[in-house]
Amino acid sequence: MAGRRSGAAARWAAVLGVVAVLVALPSLVAALPASEAGTSAPDLRRAAVASADVAFTGYAQSAGGLSLPVGDQLTAVANLLSDRTTMRAWYRGPADWRVDVVSPTGETGVHADAGGTWTWNYETATATRTAPSPLALPTASDLLPSALGRRLLSEAADDELSRLGAERVAGRDALGLRLVPADQASSVARVDVWVDADSGVPLRVQVFGKDAAGAGAEAALDTAFLDLELTTPSAEVTAFDVPPGAHVRKGEDAGLVQAASRAGRDGDRIVLPAGLTGLARRTIDGAPRGVGVYGRGITLLAVSAVPRRVASGLHDALVTAPGAVVDDLGVRISAGPLGLMLVDGPEGRMLLAGTVSLDALAAAATELTGGQS
Amino acid sequence: MIAVELRKLFRRPRTWVTIGLLNALPVLVAVLLAVTDLAPRPGEGPVFLSAVLTNGTLYPLAALAIVLPLFLPIAVALIAGDSVAGEAQSGTLRYLLARPAGRTRLLVAKLLSVFAFVLVTVVVVAAVGYLVGQLLFDVQPIGATIGGAGGTTGLSGTTLTPADIVGRTLLAIGYVTVSMLGVAAFALFFSTLTDSPLVAMLGALGILVASSLLFTLDAASSIAPYLPTRYWLAFVDFFRVPILWRDVVRGLALQGVYVAVLLGAAWANFTTKDVTS
Repeated sequence: MAGRRSGAAARWAAVLGVVAVLVALPSLVAALPASEAGTSAPDLRRAAVASADVAFTGYAQSAGGLSLPVGDQLTAVANLLSDRTTMRAWYRGPADWRVDVVSPTGETGVHADAGGTWTWNYETATATRTAPSPLALPTASDLLPSALGRRLLSEAADDELSRLGAERVAGRDALGLRLVPADQASSVARVDVWVDADSGVPLRVQVFGKDAAGAGAEAALDTAFLDLELTTPSAEVTAFDVPPGAHVRKGEDAGLVQAASRAGRDGDRIVLPAGLTGLARRTIDGAPRGVGVYGRGITLLAVSAVPRRVASGLHDALVTAPGAVVDDLGVRISAGPLGLMLVDGPEGRMLLAGTVSLDALAAAATELTGGQS
Repeated sequence: MIAVELRKLFRRPRTWVTIGLLNALPVLVAVLLAVTDLAPRPGEGPVFLSAVLTNGTLYPLAALAIVLPLFLPIAVALIAGDSVAGEAQSGTLRYLLARPAGRTRLLVAKLLSVFAFVLVTVVVVAAVGYLVGQLLFDVQPIGATIGGAGGTTGLSGTTLTPADIVGRTLLAIGYVTVSMLGVAAFALFFSTLTDSPLVAMLGALGILVASSLLFTLDAASSIAPYLPTRYWLAFVDFFRVPILWRDVVRGLALQGVYVAVLLGAAWANFTTKDVTS
């Protein structure tokens, strides 16, 4: 009996030992040290911005914690910023890539070529051809760490940048770069970008709003590669042929952008100022008259005229949202670093949206409506 | 001894009744779809079901997707939970062990017969799905590729030839089989702990229900990659172009770890257990 007991103990010890090793394995792999390189922050930014020609094949996930109460108008954008999005990416160059958003029962793939993009949706069996547009609402491909990191760093000034240590992202050595926007109006506390030490491709981007910027705070947006190979994918993978039986549509600008161009065509009633709440207006070729974009780098404010019909649905959604501020200027809300405001102007309603604080939105609205508040 | 166990398992009417019942639901769903012509909207209901009305070739996969969340694990847990505890309950375990074969060999024989049951069950579900799909739905004729009329549109918008579909369906069948081995290992382990097959089966199902529930919780996302049901639906990834191997590979490795650990535990327990019944 005693022999059997000690045999049992030995057997269970062997089993428990194997379990312990297996349980410890993931944390051991995660604890692998990343090697630091002495790259300065401005150099690292330059390397990241210059990485647009680096071809890769990757698998990325983005998680957003921003719940935008925008009703039916912007469902796709709201989902993108509040959900977990899983993406597969094949990148051959700036005008030849493919990003698939993978869901358990389907997928939505965007194939880019020189003339625009094809968007394939499996669940509706629809292929949509979209021409490049100067102004477009964000899609999943904009959330890929490489694209988002390059965009957010593109206009950063050297004195806004500092270095963080090194980390391992997607099994690669990544150098940390912190961007703290200098603009007072900004609602973004900081952006942390982890840049691949070898190629300069941004591997992980975390955006922190000023409402939750302390240590251990949850990022408002966190997107990272989980796998990345710096090999050029074959042209076959990024190309797209409309499958037989698919519905083919022509891509249209989102309802709001269309509405803004209509409102702009109606006449010269809307004259947008050259600056708003201290942010200078940007020139965007081909943008509708009724749309203005202000600011620099990661502090951006978009202003757009909205016809009353479109605005009323948005207004109803905004006023009932928790935390909405309703006053003589209109209604404004913030979701993490994103601010959204519907202004009751003398010439109709205007939509203000961007990465600016609620105070900056109110100041911009006051300037737009001619100073009366 | 393995041959003895296999013969015992597949000669039992209960085994075939279980497999038969398991096929009843996909067949019923197919008949209802064919009669009413009402497929679920894309993105709703079991995966691939929305596509079968226009392409019956996909019905084996839809059938697997229908039984995968609940019915298939119940059937596997029923048989695996019965393997050792059933002998103990009927009082035959003592006699089995009286033979000179040894406990480890008996455990291996039980294990292999359970694995054989899993494979046969999955293949039968897919085969019945294939027959039902051919009989009740429109089928794209194999080889009719002129003018692009043949083939099936995969998830990525790429046309898959009938040969592609056959190959990928076989991969999916293999993957679903491996996914079920984890369930079998849980039930077999519990089966060595208790003398009641019912307790062993319910124990394994309890683990699966808990795993499925935790998988839906954001708060549990840090342990999600280790949940036994986490990668079950990854067989869908065989129908993307290029195939998304990431979750498939992780699913295979995870099932391998569960099977190895649970069999180790079953062996450690069973070889030193006092068998009184």
